[in-house]
Amino acid sequence: MNYAQHAIQALTRRHFLRQCRVGIGGMALASLLSRDAFGAAPGKPEAPLAPKEPHFVARAKRVIYLHMAGSPSQLDLFDYKPKLNELNGAPCPDDLIENQRFAFIKGHPKLLGTPHKFAQHGQSGAWVSELLPKLAGIADEVAFVKSMVTDQFNHAPAQLYLHTGQPRLGYPSMGSWLTYGLGSENQDLPGFVVMVSGGKVPSAGKSVWGSGFLPSVYQGVQCRTQGDPVLFVSNPPGMTREVRRRSLDAIRDLNELQAREFGDPEILTRIAQYELAYRMQVSVPDVMDIARETKPMLERYGAEPGKASFANNCLLARRLVERGVRFVQLYDWGWDGHGTNPSDDLVHQLPKKCKEIDQPLVALITDLKQRGLLDETLIVWGGEFGRTSMNEERNGSKYLGRDHHPHCFTMMLAGGGIKPGITYGATDELGYFVTEDRMTVHDLQATILHQLGFDAHRLSYPYQGLDARLIGPAGEAVVHPKLLA
Amino acid sequence: MKAAVCSCAWIATAVLLFAPVRASEPAQVDFAREIRPLLSSKCFACHGPDENHREAGLRLDQQIGATAELESGSRAIVLGDSGESEMIRRVAEEDPFVRMPPAKSGEPLSADQIDLLTRWVEQGAPWSQHWSYVPPEPPPLPEVAQKKWPRGGIDYFVLARLESDGLAPSPEADRHTLIRRVSLDLTGLPPTPEEVEQFIDDPRPDAYARLVSRLLDSPAYGERWARVWLDLARYADTNGYEKDARRTIWRYRDWVIDGLNRDMPFDQFTIEQLAGDLLPEPSLDQIIATAFHRNTMNNTEGGTDDEEFRVAAVVDRVNTTMQVWMGTTIGCAQCHNHKYDPLTQREYYELFAFFNQTEDSDKDDNRPTFATPTPEQKAQLDELLQRIAQLQSELPDAGEIPGESSSESEGGDAEASEIQKQIEALREQQKNVELPTTPIMRELPADDRRETHIHVRGSFLNLGESVEAGVPSAFAPLPPDIPRDRLALARWLISDDNPLTARVTVNRYWERFFGRGIVETSEDFGAQGEPPSHPELLDWLATQFIEEGWSMKELCRLIVTSSTYRQSSRVTPELLEKDPQNRLYARGPRFRLEAEAVRDQALAVGGLLSSKMYGPSVMPPQPPGVWQIVYSGESWETSKGEDKYRRGLYTFWRRTSPYPAMTVFDATSREVCTVRRIRTNTPLQALVTLNDPAFVEAAQALARRIFAHSGEDVQAGIQHAYLRVLSRPPRAEEAKRVAELFASELAHYKADLQAAAKMAGSEIGPPPEEMPVDVLAAWTVVGNVLLNLDETLTKD
Repeated sequence: MNYAQHAIQALTRRHFLRQCRVGIGGMALASLLSRDAFGAAPGKPEAPLAPKEPHFVARAKRVIYLHMAGSPSQLDLFDYKPKLNELNGAPCPDDLIENQRFAFIKGHPKLLGTPHKFAQHGQSGAWVSELLPKLAGIADEVAFVKSMVTDQFNHAPAQLYLHTGQPRLGYPSMGSWLTYGLGSENQDLPGFVVMVSGGKVPSAGKSVWGSGFLPSVYQGVQCRTQGDPVLFVSNPPGMTREVRRRSLDAIRDLNELQAREFGDPEILTRIAQYELAYRMQVSVPDVMDIARETKPMLERYGAEPGKASFANNCLLARRLVERGVRFVQLYDWGWDGHGTNPSDDLVHQLPKKCKEIDQPLVALITDLKQRGLLDETLIVWGGEFGRTSMNEERNGSKYLGRDHHPHCFTMMLAGGGIKPGITYGATDELGYFVTEDRMTVHDLQATILHQLGFDAHRLSYPYQGLDARLIGPAGEAVVHPKLLA
Repeated sequence: MKAAVCSCAWIATAVLLFAPVRASEPAQVDFAREIRPLLSSKCFACHGPDENHREAGLRLDQQIGATAELESGSRAIVLGDSGESEMIRRVAEEDPFVRMPPAKSGEPLSADQIDLLTRWVEQGAPWSQHWSYVPPEPPPLPEVAQKKWPRGGIDYFVLARLESDGLAPSPEADRHTLIRRVSLDLTGLPPTPEEVEQFIDDPRPDAYARLVSRLLDSPAYGERWARVWLDLARYADTNGYEKDARRTIWRYRDWVIDGLNRDMPFDQFTIEQLAGDLLPEPSLDQIIATAFHRNTMNNTEGGTDDEEFRVAAVVDRVNTTMQVWMGTTIGCAQCHNHKYDPLTQREYYELFAFFNQTEDSDKDDNRPTFATPTPEQKAQLDELLQRIAQLQSELPDAGEIPGESSSESEGGDAEASEIQKQIEALREQQKNVELPTTPIMRELPADDRRETHIHVRGSFLNLGESVEAGVPSAFAPLPPDIPRDRLALARWLISDDNPLTARVTVNRYWERFFGRGIVETSEDFGAQGEPPSHPELLDWLATQFIEEGWSMKELCRLIVTSSTYRQSSRVTPELLEKDPQNRLYARGPRFRLEAEAVRDQALAVGGLLSSKMYGPSVMPPQPPGVWQIVYSGESWETSKGEDKYRRGLYTFWRRTSPYPAMTVFDATSREVCTVRRIRTNTPLQALVTLNDPAFVEAAQALARRIFAHSGEDVQAGIQHAYLRVLSRPPRAEEAKRVAELFASELAHYKADLQAAAKMAGSEIGPPPEEMPVDVLAAWTVVGNVLLNLDETLTKD
């Protein structure tokens, strides 16, 4: 038995069974012969972003992850609970708050029904609140996962847990893992791009797109809608592109002389990186310039050139994935609805935030679909945890709001081999605990990796004497079969 | 354990594999180098030191367990008999349901690995303790053929290995290369053209040794090596986590610089940082030193549990201490017994107990803190005190109260109250001196100690058995009858019985000079780490280090004066094929400079670099919008004057948003201890050195220096530019290419004087009138090119 046959046997045992169970099946064994069945090798320094093959046939080629930083309330958007409305204002049952730790709630809180109207939409009959009317209109295109759980209830650790698999700093983010595993399809652009809106970066800061212990070439590159789209991409004042070209020619010639003299291959890598930098000086401003889109397209997204908005970022996300960027991560800040004042409550702030995202989110999904890109682009939308079924009433606040809640929250997935038009998982009648198809953060990560062709247990990097993985060195995670198309 | 049925295919494979091996008398297998790492990576997770997750009762990290009769009646290893050894049968098994390791644990062993294990068992399966747990002994110098080459111990070990591999060392690098290499290594700065000329022209036989001494004595030495230590100390100017608010802890950074410059021995350096507060009558500096372990993060996000993050800080202290001194990654034992190294979860919390008795408890103000005057403030305060004392002595008798005395002393009264006023004014000045505070370690009082428990599955909410402070049993015990506190732990780390501290330290130094450690995994000397490429060299250096009184400067001197270090880095295709990573040192080191050195060098060659040392961290210009932080009004307030151009290690370090031009060059966020920065080579780095205003300004300043030196003489200008940037004259071909560039850019800017004025720059001050802007602009382009050469970014 040769090496490749061993590989197939290992794969058939581990993955064929799993994939039958998850309903993918039909994996062509023959195609595996030509693949690196033992996983992506650590990026070689000379070409760390060269395209690489995943463990098995991928359903998606790229990811757009839309993170609503602060965490929107699932109970006011998707997880409709008539019983909670009925018991609005009643004291919270004791058994729900015994031994629970809350960030802000003190004393005995009262249940809070939603102040917003809900209706069922589409063939699938998904419940969506009136705050997201356009999204309700495409309910059959997306999957709602109502059974997400996390074990973190403060923003920074919860965001780190979601994006790096660990609630602590210093670990690589999902986008870094995927660019490490897959490389990039476009060598003129970064493989992992991050954009923020809402005026702030997420609570956990840039660590949520950091590369942790992976080489820094895999960290997310923040593209900005004001100033240089990528830091230092513009030539200095007084230097034209022609002068830059001539100076790069000189750098190349002098480096080549040096390479001849010293024979170090690293010099040739540096020459290549300078040429790539030169191409990025054009390709990055080009892709980031949404003024190149038609007026109807801008209107469709609600985008306005020159502004830093979620709408602009959605349109940019489409432009980036169209050009083969592997992982686009958007962060939108302003969803931390505690109800301490009108700028963080359920009646004023939540509708305002929903209005900001409803149209561009739907434009992104339908635009990708029309361009034939939705099938191979996985879209993930959600916060870092859920919100409580109780009114927070911090210091007796009269504004409605909910505290942080790790025991259930809703995420939305679309495209990239996810089954459209389904609601997956369920919570109890007060929307407090998950009752069906519990999906952990590591499960979500494993599912995302799976759609990109990776077994989350095997995508690893040697660190501190262990094969470190997104789901942790000892983590167990399952891909949820019912979610997959 | 299910007995495996030997299949025909297996027999066939075995015959094929072993027949030729038996025929050719295989070499002795080295357990420490070849077998333990293999067993560790493939088997220890289920058959290792962790008894809670041990499968089938089999333990492979010790001979006694590996050869014992198992539940199934078989033995994993029968000494000298691979055919009877169940382990050999199972790793070679073809049925994936029977084969070891099981598919879910990883890939099957390769034919070579199976062969290696088989030969080892056949040779009687000799065992030895993990190499790094045996204290180093000074090894004898090996015999070498090329007797003239070695200058010292290092060279004997390196040459012996080269000769056994049929390789020869490279010739010594030329003096231009040497002075640049050793200046960058020891001070993080390039030499000035004057220093280069002086060294080139120095006919004395000990010219190089003198150069090394000068560099080690330079204050820049302490700054350069503090940079290295601060990565280990996870030093930063903010608390980390969500709010990531500012903290004042720069006195600790200055303590490190100062300690290194004074060549504080590493053992004392260790004790003061881990337990300076517990020394008898500690000095102010010894208390500041304890901020080493107050560099842990502090969570001030609303709604967080202080105890949770106090525990996280203590965990970080345990992990960092073991990482920095013992090269041991112990973090996993926080939740369960270590799967690869002999460390139990209980032992983890015994170490935790050492650090669990300090006052700090994740409070927003980082208390306890310690206010101490800087040396300048101390001088100022001393002077005030002296003046106050002087004035007080001029007052009438201390017993007399002004106003109560008899009428004849009325004039005296007026005088006294005048003096009194002056004293009060001075006291006011004294009060107004704002002393910087530093978070410090302070032990809880004896009646308020914490009890330490095992945290079940690592959760601080789930407390198990209580434990006392202690050190892992795999190492020498603490002396009896001493208090089991941080001071005891610090002394244990640098004791003669500790097999790791000296090895780990010299290896980190070696890594800085040669780009890779003798143990490549400088963060892990355990079973999962790489074995050393030159074990005897490592032990020789470690014992030498201790013998030289733990002097870090002497260690540096030992390395940089070796023939090994002084080789040319030129590489032949043959050498590149035989040893692409230069693990054998048949050539000198050649690798990219660190982030801070890339910046410092550019500013230095442009003459912009400030030599100001110490003090609060500075904020050199960074693009607007880089800091966008939640729940915080903090903003980047660009420093003024020379503070714009300080050395990189003084740059304000915000953990959630470190200085972009440095992170692009692999600087870390300093959230946790980092032993080695992984070097990358990316287009974003090119964008920084091409376009970041700091680098453009350096090129503009360099242009003015060139013109000031050479005027209209272009060839002289090119010579000077090369000497400034690369410490060597250009080769003819290079000078020709640069002259072409200068000519084309001069023509370009002559035709567009407005662009020329921009390119020549005004941020560093308007160009002097005698310097034509078109010429300056052309030199700026040349300077920008030179600052971006691979050779410039590389220590060669």
